[in-house]
Amino acid sequence: MTARTLTVVSAGLGRPSSTRLLADRLAEAARRSLEARGTTADTLVVELRDHAHHLTNALLTGVPTGGLHEVLERVADSDGLIAVTPVFAASYSGLFKTFFDVLDPDALAGTPVLLGATGGTPRHSLVLDHALRPLFAHLRALAAPTGVYAASQDWGDDGEGVLAERIDRAAGEFAALVAARAPKRRIDPYEAPTPFEELLPDR
Amino acid sequence: MQFGIFSVGDVTTDPTTGRTPTEAERIKAMVTIALKAEEVGLDVFATGEHHNPPFVPSSPTTMLGYIAARTERLILSTATTLITTNDPVKIAEDYAMLQHLADGRVDLMLGRGNTGPVYPWFGKDIRQGIPLAIENYHLLYRLWREDVVDWQGKFRTPLQSFTSTPRPLDGIPPFVWHGSIRSPEIAEQAAYYGDGFFANNIFWPKEHFQRLIDLYRRRYEHYGHGSADQAIVGLGGQVFMRARSQDAVREFRPYFDNAPVYGHGPSLEEFMAQTPLTVGSPQQVIDRTLQFREYFGDYQRQLFLMDHAGLPLKTVLEQLDILGEEVVPVLRKEFAARKPAHVPDAPTHASLRAAAARKAAQEEAGR
Repeated sequence: MTARTLTVVSAGLGRPSSTRLLADRLAEAARRSLEARGTTADTLVVELRDHAHHLTNALLTGVPTGGLHEVLERVADSDGLIAVTPVFAASYSGLFKTFFDVLDPDALAGTPVLLGATGGTPRHSLVLDHALRPLFAHLRALAAPTGVYAASQDWGDDGEGVLAERIDRAAGEFAALVAARAPKRRIDPYEAPTPFEELLPDR
Repeated sequence: MQFGIFSVGDVTTDPTTGRTPTEAERIKAMVTIALKAEEVGLDVFATGEHHNPPFVPSSPTTMLGYIAARTERLILSTATTLITTNDPVKIAEDYAMLQHLADGRVDLMLGRGNTGPVYPWFGKDIRQGIPLAIENYHLLYRLWREDVVDWQGKFRTPLQSFTSTPRPLDGIPPFVWHGSIRSPEIAEQAAYYGDGFFANNIFWPKEHFQRLIDLYRRRYEHYGHGSADQAIVGLGGQVFMRARSQDAVREFRPYFDNAPVYGHGPSLEEFMAQTPLTVGSPQQVIDRTLQFREYFGDYQRQLFLMDHAGLPLKTVLEQLDILGEEVVPVLRKEFAARKPAHVPDAPTHASLRAAAARKAAQEEAGR
Protein backbone atom coordinates (compact mmCIF):
# COMPACT_ATOMS: atom_id res chain seq x y z
CA MET A 1 0.00 0.00 0.00
CA THR A 2 1.23 3.49 -0.80
CA ALA A 3 0.01 6.54 1.10
CA ARG A 4 -1.29 9.94 0.10
CA THR A 5 -2.35 13.00 2.10
CA LEU A 6 -5.73 14.56 1.40
CA THR A 7 -7.26 17.68 2.85
CA VAL A 8 -10.95 18.48 2.71
CA VAL A 9 -11.87 22.16 2.92
CA SER A 10 -15.52 22.84 3.70
CA ALA A 11 -16.88 26.37 3.71
CA GLY A 12 -20.26 25.42 5.14
CA LEU A 13 -21.53 27.72 7.86
CA GLY A 14 -24.37 25.78 9.44
CA ARG A 15 -23.97 23.13 12.10
CA PRO A 16 -24.71 20.62 10.74
CA SER A 17 -24.14 21.84 7.22
CA SER A 18 -25.06 20.23 3.93
CA THR A 19 -21.73 21.46 2.54
CA ARG A 20 -19.90 19.45 5.21
CA LEU A 21 -22.18 16.52 4.46
CA LEU A 22 -21.21 16.60 0.79
CA ALA A 23 -17.55 17.08 1.73
CA ASP A 24 -17.64 13.99 3.92
CA ARG A 25 -19.33 11.96 1.21
CA LEU A 26 -16.70 13.02 -1.34
CA ALA A 27 -13.88 12.25 1.10
CA GLU A 28 -15.24 8.83 1.89
CA ALA A 29 -15.73 8.01 -1.80
CA ALA A 30 -12.20 9.21 -2.57
CA ARG A 31 -10.83 7.08 0.28
CA ARG A 32 -12.59 3.99 -1.07
CA SER A 33 -11.45 4.65 -4.61
CA LEU A 34 -7.85 5.19 -3.54
CA GLU A 35 -7.96 2.05 -1.44
CA ALA A 36 -9.11 0.09 -4.48
CA ARG A 37 -5.95 1.36 -6.18
CA GLY A 38 -3.77 0.19 -3.29
CA THR A 39 -3.37 3.62 -1.74
CA THR A 40 -4.27 4.69 1.77
CA ALA A 41 -5.45 8.23 2.35
CA ASP A 42 -4.55 10.29 5.40
CA THR A 43 -7.47 12.70 5.35
CA LEU A 44 -8.04 15.86 7.37
CA VAL A 45 -11.28 17.82 7.21
CA VAL A 46 -11.00 21.58 7.74
CA GLU A 47 -14.10 23.63 8.47
CA LEU A 48 -13.30 27.17 7.38
CA ARG A 49 -15.90 28.42 9.84
CA ASP A 50 -13.45 27.56 12.63
CA HIS A 51 -10.83 29.80 11.03
CA ALA A 52 -13.05 32.67 9.88
CA HIS A 53 -11.62 35.23 12.34
CA HIS A 54 -8.08 34.14 11.62
CA LEU A 55 -8.70 34.45 7.89
CA THR A 56 -9.80 38.04 8.45
CA ASN A 57 -6.70 38.62 10.56
CA ALA A 58 -4.57 37.24 7.76
CA LEU A 59 -6.21 39.56 5.25
CA LEU A 60 -5.70 42.59 7.48
CA THR A 61 -2.24 41.89 8.85
CA GLY A 62 -0.70 39.26 6.60
CA VAL A 63 -0.27 37.04 9.65
CA PRO A 64 -2.19 33.75 9.78
CA THR A 65 -3.11 33.69 13.47
CA GLY A 66 -4.47 30.80 15.52
CA GLY A 67 -4.21 27.42 13.83
CA LEU A 68 -4.56 28.88 10.35
CA HIS A 69 -0.85 28.68 9.57
CA GLU A 70 -0.89 24.91 10.13
CA VAL A 71 -3.97 24.54 7.91
CA LEU A 72 -2.32 26.49 5.08
CA GLU A 73 0.80 24.34 5.39
CA ARG A 74 -1.27 21.19 5.45
CA VAL A 75 -3.10 22.15 2.24
CA ALA A 76 0.18 23.04 0.54
CA ASP A 77 1.64 19.67 1.60
CA SER A 78 -1.40 17.65 0.51
CA ASP A 79 -1.41 15.32 -2.49
CA GLY A 80 -5.05 16.15 -3.15
CA LEU A 81 -7.64 18.71 -2.07
CA ILE A 82 -11.39 18.35 -1.83
CA ALA A 83 -12.91 21.84 -1.85
CA VAL A 84 -16.60 22.33 -1.14
CA THR A 85 -18.49 25.60 -0.84
CA PRO A 86 -22.08 26.69 -0.46
CA VAL A 87 -23.39 28.93 -3.23
CA PHE A 88 -23.79 32.52 -2.02
CA ALA A 89 -25.04 35.19 -4.42
CA ALA A 90 -24.45 33.03 -7.49
CA SER A 91 -20.86 32.09 -6.63
CA TYR A 92 -18.61 30.52 -4.00
CA SER A 93 -18.95 32.05 -0.55
CA GLY A 94 -16.71 34.89 0.53
CA LEU A 95 -15.23 32.72 3.26
CA PHE A 96 -14.27 30.08 0.70
CA LYS A 97 -12.64 32.66 -1.56
CA THR A 98 -10.85 34.27 1.39
CA PHE A 99 -9.16 31.00 2.21
CA PHE A 100 -7.76 30.73 -1.30
CA ASP A 101 -6.84 34.43 -1.26
CA VAL A 102 -4.72 33.82 1.83
CA LEU A 103 -3.21 30.55 0.61
CA ASP A 104 0.17 30.87 -1.09
CA PRO A 105 -0.60 31.27 -4.81
CA ASP A 106 1.75 28.40 -5.70
CA ALA A 107 0.51 26.03 -2.99
CA LEU A 108 -1.84 24.08 -5.27
CA ALA A 109 0.15 24.10 -8.49
CA GLY A 110 -0.17 20.64 -10.02
CA THR A 111 -2.33 19.37 -7.15
CA PRO A 112 -5.50 17.39 -7.98
CA VAL A 113 -8.63 19.08 -6.67
CA LEU A 114 -12.14 17.69 -6.37
CA LEU A 115 -14.75 20.43 -6.62
CA GLY A 116 -18.04 20.42 -4.78
CA ALA A 117 -20.80 22.93 -4.15
CA THR A 118 -24.17 22.99 -2.46
CA GLY A 119 -27.18 25.18 -2.97
CA GLY A 120 -30.85 25.56 -2.28
CA THR A 121 -31.93 24.99 -5.85
CA PRO A 122 -30.46 23.07 -8.81
CA ARG A 123 -30.44 26.28 -10.84
CA HIS A 124 -26.96 27.17 -9.52
CA SER A 125 -25.30 23.93 -10.57
CA LEU A 126 -23.09 25.65 -13.14
CA VAL A 127 -21.32 27.47 -10.30
CA LEU A 128 -18.82 24.62 -10.43
CA ASP A 129 -17.82 25.48 -13.97
CA HIS A 130 -18.38 29.23 -13.98
CA ALA A 131 -16.85 30.10 -10.60
CA LEU A 132 -14.84 27.27 -9.05
CA ARG A 133 -13.03 26.01 -12.15
CA PRO A 134 -11.57 29.41 -13.12
CA LEU A 135 -10.38 29.93 -9.55
CA PHE A 136 -8.52 26.64 -9.49
CA ALA A 137 -7.26 27.15 -13.03
CA HIS A 138 -5.72 30.41 -11.78
CA LEU A 139 -4.08 28.48 -8.95
CA ARG A 140 -2.77 26.01 -11.55
CA ALA A 141 -4.47 23.12 -9.76
CA LEU A 142 -5.71 20.01 -11.57
CA ALA A 143 -9.46 20.03 -11.15
CA ALA A 144 -11.02 16.60 -11.67
CA PRO A 145 -13.30 16.60 -14.76
CA THR A 146 -16.43 15.89 -12.71
CA GLY A 147 -17.47 18.18 -9.90
CA VAL A 148 -20.43 17.54 -7.65
CA TYR A 149 -23.22 20.01 -7.08
CA ALA A 150 -25.84 19.03 -4.52
CA ALA A 151 -29.09 21.00 -4.32
CA SER A 152 -31.44 20.50 -1.38
CA GLN A 153 -33.63 18.18 -3.39
CA ASP A 154 -30.70 15.86 -4.20
CA TRP A 155 -30.50 14.81 -0.56
CA GLY A 156 -33.90 13.19 -0.92
CA ASP A 157 -33.81 12.03 -4.50
CA ASP A 158 -35.98 9.31 -5.88
CA GLY A 159 -33.83 6.34 -5.06
CA GLU A 160 -32.07 6.22 -8.40
CA GLY A 161 -28.91 7.23 -6.58
CA VAL A 162 -28.14 10.12 -8.88
CA LEU A 163 -26.13 12.08 -6.28
CA ALA A 164 -24.32 8.99 -5.07
CA GLU A 165 -23.36 8.11 -8.63
CA ARG A 166 -21.99 11.57 -9.30
CA ILE A 167 -20.03 11.42 -6.05
CA ASP A 168 -18.52 8.08 -6.99
CA ARG A 169 -17.65 9.17 -10.51
CA ALA A 170 -16.05 12.44 -9.34
CA ALA A 171 -14.16 10.75 -6.51
CA GLY A 172 -12.93 8.03 -8.89
CA GLU A 173 -11.53 10.59 -11.33
CA PHE A 174 -9.95 12.50 -8.45
CA ALA A 175 -8.44 9.35 -6.92
CA ALA A 176 -6.94 8.37 -10.27
CA LEU A 177 -5.23 11.76 -10.52
CA VAL A 178 -3.95 11.54 -6.94
CA ALA A 179 -2.71 7.96 -7.22
CA ALA A 180 -0.95 8.66 -10.52
CA ARG A 181 1.28 11.30 -8.94
CA ALA A 182 4.26 10.81 -6.66
CA PRO A 183 3.70 12.12 -3.14
CA LYS A 184 4.28 15.86 -3.02
CA ARG A 185 7.66 17.03 -1.84
CA ARG A 186 7.87 20.73 -1.26
CA ILE A 187 11.24 22.45 -1.34
CA ASP A 188 11.62 24.43 1.88
CA PRO A 189 13.30 27.73 0.95
CA TYR A 190 14.49 28.17 4.54
CA GLU A 191 16.18 24.78 4.51
CA ALA A 192 17.54 24.97 0.98
CA PRO A 193 17.94 28.63 -0.05
CA THR A 194 18.99 29.68 -3.53
CA PRO A 195 22.79 30.01 -3.22
CA PHE A 196 24.11 33.54 -3.61
CA GLU A 197 26.09 32.53 -6.69
CA GLU A 198 22.74 31.96 -8.40
CA LEU A 199 21.22 35.17 -7.07
CA LEU A 200 24.04 37.23 -8.60
CA PRO A 201 25.52 35.12 -11.39
CA ASP A 202 27.45 37.86 -13.26
CA ARG A 203 29.72 39.23 -10.58
CA MET B 1 24.51 44.43 23.08
CA GLN B 2 22.99 47.53 21.55
CA PHE B 3 19.55 48.82 22.47
CA GLY B 4 17.62 51.36 20.53
CA ILE B 5 14.40 52.40 18.87
CA PHE B 6 13.18 52.42 15.31
CA SER B 7 10.52 54.68 13.92
CA VAL B 8 8.27 54.12 10.95
CA GLY B 9 7.47 57.83 10.84
CA ASP B 10 3.73 57.47 10.36
CA VAL B 11 1.36 60.41 10.75
CA THR B 12 -1.57 58.76 12.48
CA THR B 13 -4.62 60.24 14.17
CA ASP B 14 -4.64 59.67 17.93
CA PRO B 15 -7.74 57.48 18.24
CA THR B 16 -8.41 58.69 21.79
CA THR B 17 -8.55 62.39 20.89
CA GLY B 18 -9.14 62.44 17.14
CA ARG B 19 -6.16 64.74 16.75
CA THR B 20 -3.75 64.29 13.83
CA PRO B 21 -0.29 65.85 14.08
CA THR B 22 0.92 67.98 11.19
CA GLU B 23 3.89 66.79 9.18
CA ALA B 24 5.99 69.49 10.83
CA GLU B 25 4.96 68.30 14.29
CA ARG B 26 5.66 64.69 13.44
CA ILE B 27 9.09 65.40 11.97
CA LYS B 28 10.07 67.47 15.00
CA ALA B 29 8.64 64.77 17.27
CA MET B 30 10.87 62.17 15.62
CA VAL B 31 13.88 64.38 16.34
CA THR B 32 12.78 64.91 19.95
CA ILE B 33 12.38 61.14 20.32
CA ALA B 34 15.87 60.53 18.91
CA LEU B 35 17.41 63.07 21.30
CA LYS B 36 15.50 61.48 24.16
CA ALA B 37 16.90 58.08 23.15
CA GLU B 38 20.41 59.36 23.75
CA GLU B 39 19.37 61.12 26.96
CA VAL B 40 17.96 57.92 28.50
CA GLY B 41 21.03 55.89 27.55
CA LEU B 42 19.95 54.04 24.44
CA ASP B 43 22.50 53.25 21.73
CA VAL B 44 20.64 53.46 18.43
CA PHE B 45 17.99 55.54 16.68
CA ALA B 46 16.80 54.25 13.31
CA THR B 47 14.36 55.98 10.99
CA GLY B 48 12.25 54.44 8.27
CA GLU B 49 12.24 55.66 4.68
CA HIS B 50 8.93 56.19 2.92
CA HIS B 51 7.82 58.04 -0.17
CA ASN B 52 4.07 58.06 0.35
CA PRO B 53 1.66 59.57 2.86
CA PRO B 54 0.93 59.10 5.74
CA PHE B 55 4.69 58.77 6.33
CA VAL B 56 7.07 61.71 6.70
CA PRO B 57 10.66 60.40 6.57
CA SER B 58 11.46 60.51 2.84
CA SER B 59 14.92 61.94 3.40
CA PRO B 60 16.63 59.93 6.15
CA THR B 61 20.14 61.39 5.93
CA THR B 62 18.77 64.93 6.23
CA MET B 63 17.05 63.97 9.47
CA LEU B 64 19.94 61.87 10.76
CA GLY B 65 22.44 64.62 9.93
CA TYR B 66 20.43 67.06 12.03
CA ILE B 67 20.21 64.56 14.90
CA ALA B 68 23.94 63.86 14.57
CA ALA B 69 24.68 67.52 15.23
CA ARG B 70 22.64 67.46 18.41
CA THR B 71 23.87 64.17 19.89
CA GLU B 72 27.20 62.85 21.09
CA ARG B 73 26.95 59.10 21.36
CA LEU B 74 23.84 57.84 19.59
CA ILE B 75 24.33 55.55 16.57
CA LEU B 76 22.20 56.78 13.67
CA SER B 77 20.65 54.12 11.52
CA THR B 78 17.72 53.34 9.25
CA ALA B 79 14.85 50.88 9.24
CA THR B 80 14.98 50.52 6.33
CA THR B 81 16.89 52.23 3.51
CA LEU B 82 15.26 51.23 0.23
CA ILE B 83 17.93 49.36 -1.70
CA THR B 84 15.49 48.68 -4.53
CA THR B 85 14.25 52.12 -5.55
CA ASN B 86 17.18 54.30 -4.45
CA ASP B 87 20.15 54.66 -6.73
CA PRO B 88 22.98 52.79 -5.00
CA VAL B 89 25.33 55.60 -6.05
CA LYS B 90 23.23 58.09 -4.08
CA ILE B 91 23.08 55.78 -1.05
CA ALA B 92 26.89 55.42 -1.17
CA GLU B 93 27.33 59.19 -1.26
CA ASP B 94 24.63 60.15 1.25
CA TYR B 95 25.69 57.73 3.97
CA ALA B 96 29.41 58.38 3.51
CA MET B 97 28.66 62.09 3.93
CA LEU B 98 26.62 61.33 7.04
CA GLN B 99 29.48 59.22 8.40
CA HIS B 100 31.85 62.19 8.19
CA LEU B 101 29.38 64.58 9.81
CA ALA B 102 28.51 62.11 12.58
CA ASP B 103 32.12 61.04 13.22
CA GLY B 104 31.31 57.47 12.25
CA ARG B 105 28.16 57.05 14.34
CA VAL B 106 26.32 55.62 11.34
CA ASP B 107 25.13 52.29 10.06
CA LEU B 108 22.17 51.41 7.93
CA MET B 109 19.62 48.70 7.39
CA LEU B 110 18.64 47.83 3.86
CA GLY B 111 15.16 46.70 2.90
CA ARG B 112 13.12 46.26 -0.24
CA GLY B 113 9.94 48.18 0.50
CA ASN B 114 6.60 46.51 -0.07
CA THR B 115 4.47 49.32 -1.54
CA GLY B 116 3.83 48.50 -5.20
CA PRO B 117 3.34 52.03 -6.60
CA VAL B 118 6.57 53.37 -5.04
CA TYR B 119 8.63 51.25 -7.45
CA PRO B 120 7.30 52.77 -10.70
CA TRP B 121 7.55 56.26 -9.19
CA PHE B 122 11.28 55.60 -9.16
CA GLY B 123 11.33 53.81 -12.51
CA LYS B 124 11.41 50.30 -11.03
CA ASP B 125 9.16 47.22 -10.88
CA ILE B 126 8.24 45.53 -7.58
CA ARG B 127 8.35 42.13 -9.29
CA GLN B 128 12.09 42.70 -9.64
CA GLY B 129 12.41 43.45 -5.91
CA ILE B 130 14.85 40.66 -5.04
CA PRO B 131 17.10 41.06 -8.14
CA LEU B 132 17.15 44.84 -7.49
CA ALA B 133 18.18 44.31 -3.86
CA ILE B 134 20.91 41.87 -4.89
CA GLU B 135 22.38 43.87 -7.76
CA ASN B 136 22.09 47.32 -6.18
CA TYR B 137 23.75 46.21 -2.98
CA HIS B 138 26.59 44.61 -4.86
CA LEU B 139 27.26 47.97 -6.52
CA LEU B 140 26.93 49.84 -3.20
CA TYR B 141 29.36 47.39 -1.61
CA ARG B 142 31.94 48.05 -4.32
CA LEU B 143 31.44 51.83 -4.35
CA TRP B 144 32.42 51.97 -0.67
CA ARG B 145 35.43 49.69 -1.05
CA GLU B 146 36.93 50.52 -4.45
CA ASP B 147 38.09 54.06 -5.15
CA VAL B 148 37.43 53.75 -8.88
CA VAL B 149 34.58 51.58 -10.10
CA ASP B 150 33.80 50.28 -13.58
CA TRP B 151 30.41 48.70 -13.46
CA GLN B 152 27.58 47.43 -15.62
CA GLY B 153 24.34 45.87 -14.47
CA LYS B 154 20.71 45.38 -15.44
CA PHE B 155 19.10 48.18 -13.49
CA ARG B 156 21.07 51.41 -13.85
CA THR B 157 23.33 53.32 -16.20
CA PRO B 158 26.80 51.76 -16.44
CA LEU B 159 29.66 53.47 -14.63
CA GLN B 160 33.11 54.00 -16.09
CA SER B 161 35.91 55.31 -13.86
CA PHE B 162 33.43 56.43 -11.22
CA THR B 163 34.51 57.52 -7.76
CA SER B 164 31.81 57.94 -5.14
CA THR B 165 32.56 60.92 -2.92
CA PRO B 166 33.21 61.48 -0.13
CA ARG B 167 35.06 58.24 0.47
CA PRO B 168 33.86 56.42 3.63
CA LEU B 169 35.27 57.87 6.85
CA ASP B 170 38.72 56.40 7.57
CA GLY B 171 38.16 54.08 4.59
CA ILE B 172 35.65 52.11 6.68
CA PRO B 173 32.23 51.64 5.04
CA PRO B 174 29.20 51.92 7.31
CA PHE B 175 28.15 48.56 8.72
CA VAL B 176 25.14 47.19 6.87
CA TRP B 177 22.20 45.23 8.20
CA HIS B 178 19.83 43.53 5.79
CA GLY B 179 16.25 43.60 7.02
CA SER B 180 13.64 41.07 6.06
CA ILE B 181 10.28 39.83 7.19
CA ARG B 182 10.14 36.69 5.11
CA SER B 183 12.63 36.46 2.23
CA PRO B 184 15.22 33.67 2.46
CA GLU B 185 17.15 35.39 -0.37
CA ILE B 186 17.87 38.38 1.88
CA ALA B 187 19.12 36.15 4.70
CA GLU B 188 21.35 34.46 2.12
CA GLN B 189 22.60 37.84 0.89
CA ALA B 190 23.46 39.03 4.42
CA ALA B 191 25.28 35.76 5.09
CA TYR B 192 27.25 35.94 1.84
CA TYR B 193 28.73 39.35 2.67
CA GLY B 194 29.10 38.70 6.39
CA ASP B 195 26.78 41.64 7.04
CA GLY B 196 24.21 41.86 9.82
CA PHE B 197 20.72 40.45 9.53
CA PHE B 198 17.76 42.18 11.12
CA ALA B 199 14.50 40.32 11.63
CA ASN B 200 11.56 42.67 12.02
CA ASN B 201 10.13 40.32 14.66
CA ILE B 202 6.87 42.21 14.86
CA PHE B 203 4.26 40.78 12.55
CA TRP B 204 4.91 37.05 12.63
CA PRO B 205 5.14 34.37 15.29
CA LYS B 206 8.60 33.56 16.62
CA GLU B 207 8.72 30.19 14.82
CA HIS B 208 8.82 32.04 11.51
CA PHE B 209 11.71 34.28 12.52
CA GLN B 210 13.56 31.35 14.06
CA ARG B 211 13.69 29.71 10.65
CA LEU B 212 14.81 32.90 8.93
CA ILE B 213 17.55 33.65 11.49
CA ASP B 214 18.66 30.03 11.58
CA LEU B 215 19.07 30.13 7.81
CA TYR B 216 21.17 33.32 8.06
CA ARG B 217 23.37 31.84 10.79
CA ARG B 218 23.99 28.58 8.92
CA ARG B 219 24.86 30.38 5.72
CA TYR B 220 27.08 32.92 7.57
CA GLU B 221 29.15 29.99 8.74
CA HIS B 222 29.02 28.40 5.27
CA TYR B 223 30.56 31.53 3.74
CA GLY B 224 33.39 31.46 6.26
CA HIS B 225 32.71 34.59 8.32
CA GLY B 226 32.73 32.73 11.63
CA SER B 227 30.61 30.18 13.43
CA ALA B 228 26.83 30.36 13.19
CA ASP B 229 26.55 31.74 16.71
CA GLN B 230 28.91 34.59 15.81
CA ALA B 231 26.64 35.93 13.06
CA ILE B 232 25.38 39.47 13.66
CA VAL B 233 21.66 39.41 14.42
CA GLY B 234 19.33 42.29 15.17
CA LEU B 235 15.73 42.02 16.28
CA GLY B 236 12.76 44.30 16.37
CA GLY B 237 10.29 44.37 19.19
CA GLN B 238 7.23 46.26 20.21
CA VAL B 239 6.35 47.22 23.75
CA PHE B 240 4.09 49.46 25.78
CA MET B 241 4.69 49.75 29.51
CA ARG B 242 3.13 51.06 32.66
CA ALA B 243 4.00 50.22 36.25
CA ARG B 244 0.88 48.05 36.45
CA SER B 245 0.29 45.79 33.46
CA GLN B 246 -3.48 46.32 33.48
CA ASP B 247 -2.91 50.07 33.10
CA ALA B 248 -0.62 49.42 30.13
CA VAL B 249 -3.25 47.25 28.45
CA ARG B 250 -6.06 49.74 29.11
CA GLU B 251 -4.07 52.69 27.78
CA PHE B 252 -2.59 50.94 24.73
CA ARG B 253 -5.70 49.07 23.57
CA PRO B 254 -7.33 51.89 21.56
CA TYR B 255 -4.02 52.51 19.77
CA PHE B 256 -3.67 48.82 19.01
CA ASP B 257 -7.28 48.42 17.90
CA ASN B 258 -6.98 51.30 15.43
CA ALA B 259 -3.35 50.90 14.37
CA PRO B 260 -2.79 51.30 10.63
CA VAL B 261 -1.21 47.88 10.15
CA TYR B 262 -2.98 45.43 12.43
CA GLY B 263 -5.95 47.45 13.63
CA HIS B 264 -9.42 45.90 13.38
CA GLY B 265 -7.78 42.50 12.99
CA PRO B 266 -6.62 40.27 15.83
CA SER B 267 -7.35 41.22 19.40
CA LEU B 268 -4.55 42.68 21.51
CA GLU B 269 -4.49 39.46 23.51
CA GLU B 270 -4.21 37.27 20.38
CA PHE B 271 -1.47 39.44 18.96
CA MET B 272 0.47 39.41 22.24
CA ALA B 273 0.21 35.63 22.42
CA GLN B 274 1.35 35.07 18.86
CA THR B 275 3.88 37.82 18.18
CA PRO B 276 6.57 39.47 20.31
CA LEU B 277 4.32 42.46 21.17
CA THR B 278 4.43 43.01 24.92
CA VAL B 279 2.03 45.33 26.67
CA GLY B 280 2.55 45.23 30.40
CA SER B 281 4.93 46.05 33.21
CA PRO B 282 8.64 46.77 32.72
CA GLN B 283 9.37 43.39 34.28
CA GLN B 284 7.20 41.66 31.68
CA VAL B 285 9.13 43.45 28.94
CA ILE B 286 12.41 42.35 30.51
CA ASP B 287 11.28 38.74 30.72
CA ARG B 288 9.94 38.67 27.17
CA THR B 289 13.04 40.29 25.69
CA LEU B 290 15.33 37.84 27.47
CA GLN B 291 13.27 35.07 25.88
CA PHE B 292 14.28 36.36 22.43
CA ARG B 293 17.81 35.16 23.20
CA GLU B 294 16.45 31.69 23.94
CA TYR B 295 14.52 31.64 20.68
CA PHE B 296 17.09 33.21 18.36
CA GLY B 297 20.47 32.77 20.08
CA ASP B 298 22.83 35.48 21.32
CA TYR B 299 22.19 38.60 19.31
CA GLN B 300 23.70 42.02 18.97
CA ARG B 301 21.00 44.63 18.56
CA GLN B 302 17.52 45.09 19.96
CA LEU B 303 15.36 47.85 18.52
CA PHE B 304 11.94 48.70 19.90
CA LEU B 305 9.09 50.28 17.99
CA MET B 306 7.75 53.02 20.27
CA ASP B 307 6.25 55.95 18.35
CA HIS B 308 3.48 54.71 16.16
CA ALA B 309 -0.27 54.26 15.86
CA GLY B 310 -0.93 57.85 16.91
CA LEU B 311 0.63 57.67 20.40
CA PRO B 312 1.17 61.26 21.56
CA LEU B 313 4.75 62.50 21.89
CA LYS B 314 4.38 62.93 25.64
CA THR B 315 3.48 59.26 26.01
CA VAL B 316 6.34 58.13 23.78
CA LEU B 317 8.81 60.15 25.86
CA GLU B 318 7.41 58.55 29.04
CA GLN B 319 7.89 55.15 27.43
CA LEU B 320 11.49 56.02 26.64
CA ASP B 321 12.05 57.05 30.26
CA ILE B 322 10.77 53.68 31.44
CA LEU B 323 12.81 51.86 28.82
CA GLY B 324 15.99 53.74 29.71
CA GLU B 325 15.57 53.71 33.47
CA GLU B 326 13.95 50.39 34.26
CA VAL B 327 14.33 48.02 31.34
CA VAL B 328 17.55 48.49 29.40
CA PRO B 329 19.92 48.60 32.42
CA VAL B 330 18.57 45.21 33.54
CA LEU B 331 18.70 43.82 30.02
CA ARG B 332 22.29 44.99 29.54
CA LYS B 333 23.33 43.19 32.71
CA GLU B 334 21.38 40.02 32.00
CA PHE B 335 22.41 39.73 28.34
CA ALA B 336 26.06 40.38 29.21
CA ALA B 337 25.97 37.67 31.87
CA ARG B 338 24.60 35.16 29.36
CA LYS B 339 26.75 35.99 26.33
CA PRO B 340 29.70 33.62 25.70
CA ALA B 341 33.07 35.33 25.15
CA HIS B 342 33.38 34.22 21.52
CA VAL B 343 30.15 35.95 20.47
CA PRO B 344 31.01 39.41 19.10
CA ASP B 345 29.25 42.69 19.78
CA ALA B 346 27.63 44.58 16.93
CA PRO B 347 30.31 46.20 14.77
CA THR B 348 30.75 49.96 15.21
CA HIS B 349 32.93 52.38 13.31
CA ALA B 350 35.56 52.13 16.05
CA SER B 351 35.55 48.33 16.13
CA LEU B 352 35.69 48.06 12.33
CA ARG B 353 38.55 50.57 12.21
CA ALA B 354 40.44 48.61 14.86
CA ALA B 355 39.84 45.36 12.97
CA ALA B 356 41.07 46.92 9.73
CA ALA B 357 44.21 48.21 11.51
CA ARG B 358 44.87 44.74 12.98
CA LYS B 359 44.46 43.15 9.57
CA ALA B 360 46.82 45.68 7.98
CA ALA B 361 49.42 45.09 10.72
CA GLN B 362 49.18 41.32 10.21
CA GLU B 363 49.66 41.69 6.48
CA GLU B 364 52.62 43.98 7.11
CA ALA B 365 54.15 41.47 9.54
CA GLY B 366 53.58 38.59 7.14
CA ARG B 367 55.31 40.35 4.29
